[in-house]
Amino acid sequence: MTIGKIESEGSAVTSTLPVVEIRSLVKSFSGRTVLDNVDFTVKPGNIVSIIGRSGGGKTTLMRCINLLEKPDSGFITLQGEPVFSGDKTVCKDLAKLRQRVGMVFQRFYLFPHLTAVENVMLAQMKGLKIPEKKALETALELLAEVGLTHRALAFPEQMSGGEQQRVAIARALALGPSLLLFDEPTSALDPESTRDVLAVMRRLARSGMTMVIVTHEVPFAREISDKIVFIDGGHIIEQGHPSEVIDNPREDRTKAFLRSYKTDG
Amino acid sequence: MNPAPGLFQVPWQDYLPALVDGLLKSLGYTAAGFVGAAAVGLAVALLRISSRRLLRIPAAIYTELFKNVPLLAIIFITYFGLASVGLRLDAFQAGTLSLVIFYGAYLSEIFRAALLGVHAGQQEAGQALGLGPVVTFTGIIFPQALRLALPGTGTMLVDLLKSTSLLVVISAAELMSQAQLIASETFRALEVYVVISAIYFVVCYPLSQLVLRLERRVQAGAPLSLRRYRRLAHARALLAAAETKPYSEVKP
Repeated sequence: MTIGKIESEGSAVTSTLPVVEIRSLVKSFSGRTVLDNVDFTVKPGNIVSIIGRSGGGKTTLMRCINLLEKPDSGFITLQGEPVFSGDKTVCKDLAKLRQRVGMVFQRFYLFPHLTAVENVMLAQMKGLKIPEKKALETALELLAEVGLTHRALAFPEQMSGGEQQRVAIARALALGPSLLLFDEPTSALDPESTRDVLAVMRRLARSGMTMVIVTHEVPFAREISDKIVFIDGGHIIEQGHPSEVIDNPREDRTKAFLRSYKTDG
Repeated sequence: MNPAPGLFQVPWQDYLPALVDGLLKSLGYTAAGFVGAAAVGLAVALLRISSRRLLRIPAAIYTELFKNVPLLAIIFITYFGLASVGLRLDAFQAGTLSLVIFYGAYLSEIFRAALLGVHAGQQEAGQALGLGPVVTFTGIIFPQALRLALPGTGTMLVDLLKSTSLLVVISAAELMSQAQLIASETFRALEVYVVISAIYFVVCYPLSQLVLRLERRVQAGAPLSLRRYRRLAHARALLAAAETKPYSEVKP
Protein backbone atom coordinates (compact mmCIF):
# COMPACT_ATOMS: atom_id res chain seq x y z
CA MET A 1 0.00 0.00 0.00
CA THR A 2 1.30 3.33 -1.02
CA ILE A 3 0.67 5.21 2.17
CA GLY A 4 2.54 2.58 4.12
CA LYS A 5 5.26 2.41 1.49
CA ILE A 6 5.84 6.13 1.51
CA GLU A 7 5.98 6.13 5.25
CA SER A 8 8.62 3.41 5.46
CA GLU A 9 10.70 5.06 2.72
CA GLY A 10 10.71 8.34 4.63
CA SER A 11 13.17 8.89 7.43
CA ALA A 12 10.43 9.96 9.82
CA VAL A 13 10.41 6.91 12.04
CA THR A 14 13.96 5.65 11.66
CA SER A 15 15.39 8.94 12.90
CA THR A 16 15.01 10.08 16.49
CA LEU A 17 15.65 13.74 15.67
CA PRO A 18 12.56 15.92 15.94
CA VAL A 19 10.96 16.40 12.52
CA VAL A 20 10.23 20.02 13.42
CA GLU A 21 11.98 22.03 16.07
CA ILE A 22 11.04 25.66 16.45
CA ARG A 23 12.48 27.97 19.09
CA SER A 24 11.75 31.61 20.00
CA LEU A 25 9.72 32.21 16.85
CA VAL A 26 8.49 35.77 16.35
CA LYS A 27 6.31 36.89 13.47
CA SER A 28 4.41 40.11 12.95
CA PHE A 29 2.31 41.50 10.16
CA SER A 30 2.63 45.28 9.71
CA GLY A 31 3.46 45.86 13.36
CA ARG A 32 0.93 43.41 14.82
CA THR A 33 2.65 40.49 16.53
CA VAL A 34 0.92 37.24 15.63
CA LEU A 35 3.53 34.85 17.05
CA ASP A 36 5.36 35.93 20.15
CA ASN A 37 8.35 33.81 21.15
CA VAL A 38 6.85 30.44 20.29
CA ASP A 39 8.58 27.07 20.88
CA PHE A 40 7.17 24.10 19.01
CA THR A 41 8.40 20.55 18.47
CA VAL A 42 7.11 17.62 16.43
CA LYS A 43 8.59 14.18 17.04
CA PRO A 44 8.85 11.54 14.30
CA GLY A 45 5.58 9.71 13.69
CA ASN A 46 3.67 12.11 15.92
CA ILE A 47 0.45 13.86 15.12
CA VAL A 48 0.26 17.34 16.51
CA SER A 49 -2.95 19.35 16.30
CA ILE A 50 -2.95 23.11 16.73
CA ILE A 51 -6.22 24.50 18.00
CA GLY A 52 -7.36 27.96 18.98
CA ARG A 53 -9.41 30.96 17.97
CA SER A 54 -9.20 32.36 14.44
CA GLY A 55 -6.46 34.97 14.23
CA GLY A 56 -4.62 33.43 17.16
CA GLY A 57 -1.59 32.49 15.07
CA LYS A 58 -2.26 28.79 14.34
CA THR A 59 -2.03 29.02 10.58
CA THR A 60 0.91 31.41 10.68
CA LEU A 61 2.86 29.00 12.87
CA MET A 62 2.19 26.20 10.41
CA ARG A 63 3.13 28.32 7.40
CA CYS A 64 6.45 29.17 9.03
CA ILE A 65 7.39 25.47 9.06
CA ASN A 66 7.83 25.33 5.28
CA LEU A 67 8.71 29.02 5.14
CA LEU A 68 5.66 30.03 3.14
CA GLU A 69 5.76 32.75 5.80
CA LYS A 70 9.12 34.24 6.67
CA PRO A 71 9.48 34.75 10.43
CA ASP A 72 10.87 37.99 11.90
CA SER A 73 13.23 36.00 14.11
CA GLY A 74 13.74 32.62 15.69
CA PHE A 75 15.14 29.19 14.90
CA ILE A 76 13.58 26.50 12.74
CA THR A 77 15.17 23.08 12.30
CA LEU A 78 13.70 20.34 10.14
CA GLN A 79 15.00 16.80 10.73
CA GLY A 80 18.15 18.22 12.28
CA GLU A 81 18.82 20.62 9.41
CA PRO A 82 18.68 24.32 10.30
CA VAL A 83 16.43 26.15 7.84
CA PHE A 84 15.93 29.46 9.61
CA SER A 85 18.26 31.01 12.13
CA GLY A 86 18.23 34.42 13.78
CA ASP A 87 16.55 36.63 11.21
CA LYS A 88 17.32 34.89 7.96
CA THR A 89 16.68 31.75 5.94
CA VAL A 90 19.72 29.49 6.12
CA CYS A 91 18.32 26.69 3.97
CA LYS A 92 20.15 26.79 0.64
CA ASP A 93 17.48 25.00 -1.34
CA LEU A 94 13.95 25.94 -0.27
CA ALA A 95 12.43 23.86 -3.07
CA LYS A 96 14.17 20.69 -1.82
CA LEU A 97 13.03 21.43 1.71
CA ARG A 98 9.43 21.84 0.64
CA GLN A 99 9.51 18.55 -1.25
CA ARG A 100 9.92 16.88 2.14
CA VAL A 101 7.04 18.84 3.66
CA GLY A 102 3.66 18.23 2.06
CA MET A 103 0.95 20.81 2.61
CA VAL A 104 -2.83 20.63 2.34
CA PHE A 105 -4.72 23.92 2.18
CA GLN A 106 -8.12 24.91 3.48
CA ARG A 107 -9.24 25.90 -0.03
CA PHE A 108 -7.49 22.92 -1.70
CA TYR A 109 -5.76 25.01 -4.40
CA LEU A 110 -5.83 22.22 -6.92
CA PHE A 111 -4.61 23.24 -10.35
CA PRO A 112 -7.92 23.90 -12.14
CA HIS A 113 -6.56 23.43 -15.65
CA LEU A 114 -5.45 19.86 -14.95
CA THR A 115 -7.29 16.62 -14.23
CA ALA A 116 -7.02 14.98 -10.81
CA VAL A 117 -4.34 12.54 -11.96
CA GLU A 118 -2.31 15.33 -13.58
CA ASN A 119 -2.54 17.34 -10.36
CA VAL A 120 -0.87 14.45 -8.56
CA MET A 121 1.73 14.00 -11.33
CA LEU A 122 2.87 17.59 -11.82
CA ALA A 123 5.31 18.06 -8.95
CA GLN A 124 6.67 14.54 -9.34
CA MET A 125 7.65 15.28 -12.93
CA LYS A 126 8.65 18.94 -12.71
CA GLY A 127 10.10 18.94 -9.23
CA LEU A 128 11.54 15.48 -8.63
CA LYS A 129 12.09 14.80 -12.38
CA ILE A 130 10.42 11.41 -12.07
CA PRO A 131 9.72 9.89 -15.51
CA GLU A 132 6.15 10.28 -16.72
CA LYS A 133 5.31 6.57 -16.65
CA LYS A 134 6.38 6.17 -13.04
CA ALA A 135 4.69 9.43 -12.01
CA LEU A 136 1.43 8.28 -13.58
CA GLU A 137 1.55 4.93 -11.80
CA THR A 138 2.24 6.58 -8.45
CA ALA A 139 -0.54 9.10 -9.06
CA LEU A 140 -3.08 6.38 -9.85
CA GLU A 141 -2.03 4.37 -6.78
CA LEU A 142 -2.43 7.44 -4.57
CA LEU A 143 -5.81 8.29 -6.05
CA ALA A 144 -6.87 4.70 -5.31
CA GLU A 145 -5.64 5.19 -1.74
CA VAL A 146 -7.93 8.17 -1.27
CA GLY A 147 -10.78 6.32 -3.01
CA LEU A 148 -10.87 8.44 -6.15
CA THR A 149 -9.77 6.15 -8.98
CA HIS A 150 -13.09 6.82 -10.68
CA ARG A 151 -12.41 10.58 -10.62
CA ALA A 152 -8.85 10.39 -11.99
CA LEU A 153 -9.74 12.19 -15.21
CA ALA A 154 -12.13 14.72 -13.67
CA PHE A 155 -11.23 18.39 -13.42
CA PRO A 156 -11.35 20.12 -10.03
CA GLU A 157 -14.49 22.10 -10.85
CA GLN A 158 -16.29 18.83 -11.61
CA MET A 159 -15.51 17.45 -8.16
CA SER A 160 -17.08 18.03 -4.76
CA GLY A 161 -15.06 19.84 -2.12
CA GLY A 162 -14.33 16.59 -0.33
CA GLU A 163 -13.09 14.95 -3.51
CA GLN A 164 -10.90 17.95 -4.28
CA GLN A 165 -9.40 17.86 -0.81
CA ARG A 166 -8.64 14.15 -1.11
CA VAL A 167 -6.92 14.80 -4.46
CA ALA A 168 -4.96 17.55 -2.71
CA ILE A 169 -3.85 15.03 -0.08
CA ALA A 170 -2.77 12.60 -2.82
CA ARG A 171 -0.89 15.47 -4.49
CA ALA A 172 0.95 16.25 -1.26
CA LEU A 173 1.77 12.56 -0.71
CA ALA A 174 3.14 12.15 -4.24
CA LEU A 175 6.51 13.59 -3.29
CA GLY A 176 6.94 11.08 -0.46
CA PRO A 177 7.15 13.76 2.25
CA SER A 178 8.37 13.02 5.76
CA LEU A 179 5.92 15.56 7.18
CA LEU A 180 2.42 16.62 6.20
CA LEU A 181 0.92 19.98 7.12
CA PHE A 182 -2.86 20.37 7.13
CA ASP A 183 -4.22 23.91 7.25
CA GLU A 184 -7.87 23.61 8.38
CA PRO A 185 -8.43 20.85 5.83
CA THR A 186 -12.15 20.47 6.50
CA SER A 187 -13.20 24.06 7.23
CA ALA A 188 -14.54 24.56 3.71
CA LEU A 189 -16.39 21.25 3.57
CA ASP A 190 -19.89 19.95 4.25
CA PRO A 191 -20.28 17.24 6.94
CA GLU A 192 -20.23 14.32 4.51
CA SER A 193 -17.10 15.53 2.73
CA THR A 194 -15.52 16.25 6.10
CA ARG A 195 -16.12 12.65 7.13
CA ASP A 196 -14.42 11.33 3.96
CA VAL A 197 -11.40 13.61 4.37
CA LEU A 198 -11.03 12.77 8.06
CA ALA A 199 -11.19 9.05 7.17
CA VAL A 200 -8.22 9.49 4.82
CA MET A 201 -6.32 11.45 7.48
CA ARG A 202 -7.06 8.76 10.05
CA ARG A 203 -5.57 6.11 7.77
CA LEU A 204 -2.52 8.27 7.14
CA ALA A 205 -2.10 8.65 10.88
CA ARG A 206 -2.30 4.90 11.39
CA SER A 207 0.38 4.40 8.71
CA GLY A 208 2.79 6.38 10.90
CA MET A 209 2.93 9.63 8.91
CA THR A 210 4.14 12.64 10.88
CA MET A 211 1.43 15.29 10.71
CA VAL A 212 0.74 18.81 11.91
CA ILE A 213 -2.92 19.74 11.73
CA VAL A 214 -4.50 23.14 12.24
CA THR A 215 -8.13 22.37 12.89
CA HIS A 216 -11.43 23.36 14.44
CA GLU A 217 -12.50 19.72 14.66
CA VAL A 218 -11.77 19.32 18.36
CA PRO A 219 -13.21 15.79 18.72
CA PHE A 220 -11.16 14.63 15.71
CA ALA A 221 -8.02 16.28 17.07
CA ARG A 222 -8.63 14.64 20.44
CA GLU A 223 -9.04 11.21 18.86
CA ILE A 224 -6.12 11.32 16.42
CA SER A 225 -3.42 13.45 18.07
CA ASP A 226 -0.39 12.59 20.14
CA LYS A 227 -0.16 16.23 21.16
CA ILE A 228 -2.53 19.16 21.23
CA VAL A 229 -1.19 22.70 21.09
CA PHE A 230 -3.56 25.48 22.11
CA ILE A 231 -2.54 28.88 20.75
CA ASP A 232 -4.10 32.20 21.66
CA GLY A 233 -2.94 35.74 21.03
CA GLY A 234 0.34 34.58 19.54
CA HIS A 235 1.32 32.47 22.53
CA ILE A 236 1.20 28.76 23.14
CA ILE A 237 -1.07 28.71 26.19
CA GLU A 238 -1.03 25.02 26.81
CA GLN A 239 0.22 21.86 25.14
CA GLY A 240 0.26 18.17 25.88
CA HIS A 241 -1.62 14.94 25.34
CA PRO A 242 -5.31 15.34 24.43
CA SER A 243 -6.25 13.76 27.76
CA GLU A 244 -4.63 16.74 29.43
CA VAL A 245 -5.29 19.72 27.17
CA ILE A 246 -8.79 18.83 26.01
CA ASP A 247 -10.10 16.66 28.83
CA ASN A 248 -8.42 18.41 31.77
CA PRO A 249 -7.22 21.85 30.67
CA ARG A 250 -5.20 23.72 33.29
CA GLU A 251 -5.33 27.22 31.82
CA ASP A 252 -8.41 29.44 32.00
CA ARG A 253 -8.07 30.51 28.37
CA THR A 254 -8.05 26.88 27.22
CA LYS A 255 -11.12 26.16 29.31
CA ALA A 256 -12.89 29.22 27.88
CA PHE A 257 -12.02 28.22 24.32
CA LEU A 258 -13.21 24.65 24.77
CA ARG A 259 -16.41 25.87 26.43
CA SER A 260 -17.18 28.28 23.59
CA TYR A 261 -16.39 25.54 21.11
CA LYS A 262 -18.91 23.24 22.77
CA THR A 263 -21.68 25.84 22.89
CA ASP A 264 -21.01 27.00 19.32
CA GLY A 265 -21.25 23.40 18.11
CA MET B 1 -29.18 37.23 -70.21
CA ASN B 2 -26.96 38.62 -67.47
CA PRO B 3 -29.24 38.88 -64.41
CA ALA B 4 -27.38 41.92 -63.07
CA PRO B 5 -26.05 43.77 -66.03
CA GLY B 6 -23.21 46.09 -65.25
CA LEU B 7 -22.74 45.00 -61.62
CA PHE B 8 -19.47 43.12 -62.13
CA GLN B 9 -17.38 44.67 -64.85
CA VAL B 10 -13.89 44.35 -63.39
CA PRO B 11 -11.96 41.51 -65.09
CA TRP B 12 -11.31 39.75 -61.77
CA GLN B 13 -9.58 36.73 -63.30
CA ASP B 14 -6.85 39.06 -64.54
CA TYR B 15 -6.36 40.41 -61.04
CA LEU B 16 -6.48 37.06 -59.34
CA PRO B 17 -2.69 36.67 -58.98
CA ALA B 18 -2.43 40.17 -57.49
CA LEU B 19 -5.25 39.45 -55.07
CA VAL B 20 -3.75 36.15 -53.95
CA ASP B 21 -0.40 37.82 -53.50
CA GLY B 22 -2.00 40.67 -51.53
CA LEU B 23 -3.93 38.28 -49.31
CA LEU B 24 -0.80 36.25 -48.57
CA LYS B 25 1.05 39.46 -47.69
CA SER B 26 -1.79 40.49 -45.37
CA LEU B 27 -1.61 37.11 -43.66
CA GLY B 28 2.18 37.45 -43.44
CA TYR B 29 1.84 40.83 -41.71
CA THR B 30 -0.78 39.32 -39.41
CA ALA B 31 1.41 36.37 -38.44
CA ALA B 32 4.58 38.39 -37.90
CA GLY B 33 2.71 41.23 -36.17
CA PHE B 34 0.78 38.92 -33.88
CA VAL B 35 3.74 36.78 -32.82
CA GLY B 36 5.79 39.91 -32.11
CA ALA B 37 2.91 41.64 -30.32
CA ALA B 38 2.27 38.56 -28.16
CA ALA B 39 5.95 38.42 -27.16
CA VAL B 40 6.06 42.16 -26.38
CA GLY B 41 2.68 41.95 -24.64
CA LEU B 42 3.82 39.11 -22.37
CA ALA B 43 7.12 40.80 -21.54
CA VAL B 44 5.40 44.12 -20.74
CA ALA B 45 2.70 42.35 -18.72
CA LEU B 46 5.36 40.59 -16.63
CA LEU B 47 7.15 43.88 -16.04
CA ARG B 48 3.88 45.52 -15.01
CA ILE B 49 3.15 42.95 -12.32
CA SER B 50 6.71 43.10 -11.03
CA SER B 51 7.24 44.23 -7.46
CA ARG B 52 9.94 46.68 -8.58
CA ARG B 53 8.80 50.18 -9.45
CA LEU B 54 11.79 50.59 -11.74
CA LEU B 55 10.40 47.86 -13.99
CA ARG B 56 6.72 48.65 -13.51
CA ILE B 57 6.76 52.32 -14.44
CA PRO B 58 8.42 52.14 -17.88
CA ALA B 59 6.11 49.26 -18.80
CA ALA B 60 3.05 51.26 -17.74
CA ILE B 61 4.24 54.25 -19.76
CA TYR B 62 4.68 52.04 -22.82
CA THR B 63 1.18 50.62 -22.54
CA GLU B 64 -0.54 53.92 -21.94
CA LEU B 65 1.41 55.70 -24.67
CA PHE B 66 0.72 53.29 -27.49
CA LYS B 67 -2.84 52.50 -26.44
CA ASN B 68 -3.66 56.17 -26.82
CA VAL B 69 -1.99 56.94 -30.15
CA PRO B 70 -3.63 56.02 -33.50
CA LEU B 71 -2.09 53.06 -35.30
CA LEU B 72 -1.97 55.16 -38.46
CA ALA B 73 0.27 57.70 -36.73
CA ILE B 74 2.60 54.91 -35.59
CA ILE B 75 2.79 53.61 -39.17
CA PHE B 76 3.69 57.08 -40.48
CA ILE B 77 6.33 57.53 -37.79
CA THR B 78 8.04 54.17 -38.31
CA TYR B 79 8.03 54.42 -42.12
CA PHE B 80 8.41 58.14 -42.99
CA GLY B 81 9.48 59.57 -39.62
CA LEU B 82 12.37 57.23 -38.86
CA ALA B 83 13.56 57.49 -42.47
CA SER B 84 13.97 61.22 -42.04
CA VAL B 85 16.42 60.65 -39.19
CA GLY B 86 18.37 58.07 -41.15
CA LEU B 87 16.71 54.85 -40.00
CA ARG B 88 15.26 53.55 -43.25
CA LEU B 89 12.89 50.60 -42.83
CA ASP B 90 11.22 48.90 -45.76
CA ALA B 91 7.44 48.60 -45.83
CA PHE B 92 7.42 45.13 -44.31
CA GLN B 93 9.73 46.08 -41.46
CA ALA B 94 7.94 49.34 -40.70
CA GLY B 95 4.50 47.76 -41.06
CA THR B 96 5.30 44.81 -38.82
CA LEU B 97 7.03 47.01 -36.25
CA SER B 98 3.98 49.29 -36.10
CA LEU B 99 1.62 46.37 -35.55
CA VAL B 100 3.91 44.88 -32.90
CA ILE B 101 4.19 48.17 -30.99
CA PHE B 102 0.48 48.95 -31.13
CA TYR B 103 -0.96 45.50 -30.46
CA GLY B 104 1.78 44.76 -27.95
CA ALA B 105 0.31 47.53 -25.81
CA TYR B 106 -3.21 46.07 -25.99
CA LEU B 107 -2.10 42.48 -25.47
CA SER B 108 -0.04 43.52 -22.44
CA GLU B 109 -3.28 44.75 -20.83
CA ILE B 110 -5.07 41.50 -21.62
CA PHE B 111 -2.15 39.37 -20.39
CA ARG B 112 -1.69 41.42 -17.24
CA ALA B 113 -5.35 41.02 -16.29
CA ALA B 114 -5.10 37.29 -17.03
CA LEU B 115 -1.97 36.83 -14.90
CA LEU B 116 -3.58 38.72 -12.02
CA GLY B 117 -6.73 36.66 -12.50
CA VAL B 118 -4.94 33.46 -11.46
CA HIS B 119 -5.63 32.97 -7.75
CA ALA B 120 -2.68 33.72 -5.46
CA GLY B 121 -3.24 30.31 -3.85
CA GLN B 122 -2.01 28.67 -7.06
CA GLN B 123 1.41 30.22 -6.58
CA GLU B 124 1.44 29.03 -2.97
CA ALA B 125 0.40 25.52 -3.93
CA GLY B 126 3.30 25.40 -6.38
CA GLN B 127 5.73 26.68 -3.77
CA ALA B 128 4.49 24.24 -1.17
CA LEU B 129 5.09 21.41 -3.64
CA GLY B 130 8.72 22.43 -3.85
CA LEU B 131 8.51 23.92 -7.31
CA GLY B 132 10.83 26.82 -8.13
CA PRO B 133 9.54 30.16 -9.40
CA VAL B 134 10.20 29.30 -13.05
CA VAL B 135 8.37 25.97 -13.00
CA THR B 136 5.57 27.48 -10.92
CA PHE B 137 5.15 30.09 -13.63
CA THR B 138 5.48 27.88 -16.70
CA GLY B 139 3.59 24.87 -15.32
CA ILE B 140 0.90 26.47 -13.16
CA ILE B 141 0.39 30.22 -13.60
CA PHE B 142 0.99 30.61 -17.33
CA PRO B 143 -1.33 27.83 -18.54
CA GLN B 144 -4.16 29.23 -16.43
CA ALA B 145 -3.48 32.80 -17.55
CA LEU B 146 -3.43 31.61 -21.16
CA ARG B 147 -6.94 30.25 -20.74
CA LEU B 148 -8.13 33.51 -19.21
CA ALA B 149 -6.46 35.56 -21.94
CA LEU B 150 -7.75 33.54 -24.86
CA PRO B 151 -11.03 35.41 -25.59
CA GLY B 152 -9.45 38.88 -25.58
CA THR B 153 -6.40 37.69 -27.47
CA GLY B 154 -8.54 36.09 -30.18
CA THR B 155 -10.45 39.33 -30.66
CA MET B 156 -7.14 41.19 -30.99
CA LEU B 157 -5.88 38.72 -33.60
CA VAL B 158 -8.88 39.33 -35.85
CA ASP B 159 -8.62 43.07 -35.23
CA LEU B 160 -4.94 42.98 -36.17
CA LEU B 161 -5.72 41.18 -39.42
CA LYS B 162 -8.21 43.90 -40.35
CA SER B 163 -5.77 46.64 -39.31
CA THR B 164 -3.18 45.41 -41.81
CA SER B 165 -5.39 47.25 -44.33
CA LEU B 166 -4.10 50.53 -42.86
CA LEU B 167 -0.70 49.62 -44.31
CA VAL B 168 -2.14 50.81 -47.62
CA VAL B 169 -0.72 54.21 -46.69
CA ILE B 170 2.82 52.89 -47.05
CA SER B 171 1.98 50.79 -50.14
CA ALA B 172 2.74 47.57 -48.31
CA ALA B 173 1.47 45.47 -51.25
CA GLU B 174 -1.06 43.74 -48.99
CA LEU B 175 -4.69 43.19 -49.90
CA MET B 176 -5.89 46.78 -49.49
CA SER B 177 -2.96 48.14 -51.50
CA GLN B 178 -3.89 45.77 -54.31
CA ALA B 179 -7.48 46.96 -54.05
CA GLN B 180 -6.39 50.55 -54.39
CA LEU B 181 -4.38 49.69 -57.52
CA ILE B 182 -7.27 47.82 -59.09
CA ALA B 183 -9.67 50.64 -58.28
CA SER B 184 -7.40 53.23 -59.84
CA GLU B 185 -7.00 51.14 -62.96
CA THR B 186 -10.68 50.30 -63.44
CA PHE B 187 -12.42 53.34 -61.88
CA ARG B 188 -14.86 50.85 -60.24
CA ALA B 189 -14.42 51.85 -56.60
CA LEU B 190 -17.72 50.45 -55.36
CA GLU B 191 -17.29 47.04 -56.97
CA VAL B 192 -13.62 46.75 -56.00
CA TYR B 193 -14.05 47.69 -52.34
CA VAL B 194 -17.15 45.53 -51.93
CA VAL B 195 -15.24 42.54 -53.29
CA ILE B 196 -12.20 43.32 -51.11
CA SER B 197 -14.41 43.67 -48.04
CA ALA B 198 -15.94 40.30 -48.87
CA ILE B 199 -12.47 38.77 -49.00
CA TYR B 200 -11.62 40.23 -45.56
CA PHE B 201 -14.90 38.86 -44.23
CA VAL B 202 -14.31 35.41 -45.71
CA VAL B 203 -10.95 35.25 -43.96
CA CYS B 204 -11.86 36.94 -40.66
CA TYR B 205 -15.18 35.24 -39.95
CA PRO B 206 -13.82 31.68 -39.95
CA LEU B 207 -10.84 32.88 -37.93
CA SER B 208 -13.18 34.33 -35.27
CA GLN B 209 -15.19 31.11 -35.24
CA LEU B 210 -12.01 29.06 -34.97
CA VAL B 211 -10.87 31.10 -31.99
CA LEU B 212 -14.28 30.66 -30.36
CA ARG B 213 -14.12 26.91 -30.85
CA LEU B 214 -10.61 26.80 -29.44
CA GLU B 215 -11.84 28.80 -26.45
CA ARG B 216 -14.66 26.36 -25.78
CA ARG B 217 -12.43 23.32 -26.14
CA VAL B 218 -9.84 24.81 -23.81
CA GLN B 219 -12.51 25.75 -21.26
CA ALA B 220 -13.56 22.11 -21.34
CA GLY B 221 -9.99 21.17 -20.43
CA ALA B 222 -8.86 19.79 -23.79
CA PRO B 223 -5.09 19.36 -24.05
CA LEU B 224 -3.23 22.04 -26.01
CA SER B 225 -0.04 20.05 -26.46
CA LEU B 226 0.60 16.66 -28.00
CA ARG B 227 2.53 15.65 -24.89
CA ARG B 228 -0.46 16.26 -22.64
CA TYR B 229 -2.76 14.53 -25.12
CA ARG B 230 -0.57 11.40 -24.93
CA ARG B 231 -0.34 11.62 -21.13
CA LEU B 232 -4.13 11.65 -20.81
CA ALA B 233 -4.48 8.80 -23.30
CA HIS B 234 -1.96 6.80 -21.29
CA ALA B 235 -3.86 7.49 -18.06
CA ARG B 236 -7.12 6.46 -19.72
CA ALA B 237 -5.55 3.21 -20.94
CA LEU B 238 -4.19 2.37 -17.48
CA LEU B 239 -7.56 3.10 -15.90
CA ALA B 240 -9.34 0.91 -18.45
CA ALA B 241 -6.90 -1.93 -17.79
CA ALA B 242 -7.51 -1.54 -14.06
CA GLU B 243 -11.26 -1.95 -14.60
CA THR B 244 -10.81 -5.66 -15.22
CA LYS B 245 -8.21 -6.12 -12.49
CA PRO B 246 -9.70 -3.52 -10.22
CA TYR B 247 -7.91 -0.97 -8.13
CA SER B 248 -10.92 -1.34 -5.88
CA GLU B 249 -9.01 -4.15 -4.21
CA VAL B 250 -7.01 -1.48 -2.44
CA LYS B 251 -9.89 0.97 -2.02
CA PRO B 252 -11.00 1.62 1.55
